[in-house]
Amino acid sequence: MKRDPERAKLEAVLRASKLVAGGFLGNDDRPLDEILADDAAALERAGRTRGEVAARMREIGARAREGIETWVPAGGAVEARMIEARGRIPCPWDHPGRYFKTIVEARRTDTGDAARWSDLSVHLIEAHGFFQGRGSPFRLEPRRLVRLLF
Amino acid sequence: MNPEAGILQPLVVMFSAAFTGNILLAKFLGMCPFLAVSRQVKTALGLGWAVVFVLTGTSVLNWLIYWKVLVPLNLEFLRFIMFIIMIAAFVQFVEMVLERYSPVLYQKLGIFLPLITVNCAILGGSLFMVIRRYTLLNAVAFGFGSGIGWMLAILAMAGIREKLAEERIPRGLRGPGITLIIVGLMALAFIGFTGVLGG
Amino acid sequence: MLATAAGILAVSGIAGGLAALLVLAERIIRNYGECEILINGERTLTAQGGQSLLETLSQQKIFIPSACGGRGTCAYCKLKVLDGGGPLLPTEEPYLDAAERAAGVRLSCQVKVRGPLRIEIPEHLFRVREFAATCASIRDLTHDIKEFRFALRDPARIEYTPGQYLQLFTPSYDGNEEVYRAYSMSSDPADREHVELVIRLVPGGICTTWCFEHLQEGDHVTFNGPYGDFRLSKTEAPMIFVAGGSGMAPIKCILHQMQNEGIAREATYFFGANRADELFYLDEMAAFEKALPGFRFVPVVAHPEAGGAWQGETGLVTDAARRNLPDLAGHEGYLCGSPGLIQAAVRVLTDLGMPEDKIYYDTFG
Repeated sequence: MKRDPERAKLEAVLRASKLVAGGFLGNDDRPLDEILADDAAALERAGRTRGEVAARMREIGARAREGIETWVPAGGAVEARMIEARGRIPCPWDHPGRYFKTIVEARRTDTGDAARWSDLSVHLIEAHGFFQGRGSPFRLEPRRLVRLLF
Repeated sequence: MNPEAGILQPLVVMFSAAFTGNILLAKFLGMCPFLAVSRQVKTALGLGWAVVFVLTGTSVLNWLIYWKVLVPLNLEFLRFIMFIIMIAAFVQFVEMVLERYSPVLYQKLGIFLPLITVNCAILGGSLFMVIRRYTLLNAVAFGFGSGIGWMLAILAMAGIREKLAEERIPRGLRGPGITLIIVGLMALAFIGFTGVLGG
Repeated sequence: MLATAAGILAVSGIAGGLAALLVLAERIIRNYGECEILINGERTLTAQGGQSLLETLSQQKIFIPSACGGRGTCAYCKLKVLDGGGPLLPTEEPYLDAAERAAGVRLSCQVKVRGPLRIEIPEHLFRVREFAATCASIRDLTHDIKEFRFALRDPARIEYTPGQYLQLFTPSYDGNEEVYRAYSMSSDPADREHVELVIRLVPGGICTTWCFEHLQEGDHVTFNGPYGDFRLSKTEAPMIFVAGGSGMAPIKCILHQMQNEGIAREATYFFGANRADELFYLDEMAAFEKALPGFRFVPVVAHPEAGGAWQGETGLVTDAARRNLPDLAGHEGYLCGSPGLIQAAVRVLTDLGMPEDKIYYDTFG
């Protein structure tokens, strides 16, 4: 099938590993549209919206920031810490937006589930419904993410 | 043929190409980029203009090559291969010129040109024009009208798909599935134009 | 038979003619010739046209920051193009505001060199050089922070202001593309033949992963620099340093400078870590305390091990600063660390009376 050139360019940027190690799509060889559609369906089955997920991730991030790189309780059974690296990372979609390389590590004290994400991950989920490709270091499975957050 | 037809005919040809004989919705040509690039109105518009431009330009060139070269040499049977070569060369050339002299237009239209080189709507346009034995003026009108018709169709589709993006569509129908159903409904609507222009 | 031959001839003739036309057109249309680029109204360089401005400049050893590899998504490579840049492209529009557009700012990765150009490059980028160096030593500082020492080969010496950073080149590895990433220098600026970097492993980080897992002593590296305007002011005001993690680097460099130049300003340095074993450079700091009479180092541990030997300050580094500091009117603050640390430290320092324009920090890109 012929491809939308702008879509093809976006996918090329996401596959490239200029911005993050391994690229945003990791070793996921599904087309971008399929990744987006599958994750949207998974999130729907988990009963949450992109906005709810992003809001909760931001809330955890805000609490973690107070802890200046130490583990702090972040509401419910979740504890989190924030690590920050130098530099900012731009959103690969075609709008200006640069996100600090802040990485939030979150874990549940009851189930032991854990995940990590960056400021950019939250934006990608909220604005673009993009949970990154399988095998990417920052891939978030929607179902497991929802179980961790709520 | 009555005398006024001389001026009116190209207009009639153009409108009928755009509406009643819409190359996409009545003839179902050029479906592939139509399905692939109808996600956003902005990109659909870019592709639409590129199709209008290439359809018009190649209609003229192919008219010349058919009536001035192939017919005198009795080589009409070679029209398929000649038309394809002409279209490919034309698109290549236009892409080069745009990139050099109008970077903005290149970014807006040029990136779509490779998509249209092998678009059957373009070849179809040239073939219809020959089969219907249009004059040069009518051929231009036909190429332009067909392009406009194709652009209207993809714009309408992109508008609908932008709205649909937020809707809950059954999993199996997402993507091309729902798009094909919508094309069918749009085609039904366009058939309603039949007879309006008597052509 | 004749018809077939005529057909083949006609098709080949026309196709060949078109191909020849296209080749000719390509020769003429795609050939931009030699283009002159006038930089800052003083220096002219000549380059073959047809490439992006960013690529052309980098081939001429002028380094413009860029993180996305010229794909027009990071917008780091903004430059003023005064003449010859052509109209603004749709790919640039999202990244430039009205003031920038009016000033002629462009994304240099999107502007193609197609004729004479007149551009402006900030003076400090103009002074940036590319260095070839050899990795002289790698030392573990904590479980996720290492010190890398590089011996310069070409050029053999570097001039920089303490507090500045450089961009380390990471070659392509494990399918990752080559990138540049920024690190502050931590070494003694008097030693112009070596630089040291303090690097913390970033999960998923391309460059830090390479430094930690691939870079070996004796390996050749390249970097360019120096960049940045984080530096010691020329006043006599007493100073407060606050840093955490690899934020140690520029502060250590500034301490070397104070020792070298005999700057006797009063300075207190709060350095935060999670656990006691995440503190580092304690001996070096003790040496600075001896050499600089006005200098005091205050390590702060957030979570000391229960029953451990930690005797010093505990809690968040910013809280420790709040507990220990008097009224700070007339002081200067120097911060280096994560945005979270800087945000919290700015709050504490301003609460204690330090004017905001006397607080200096690197904005992390």
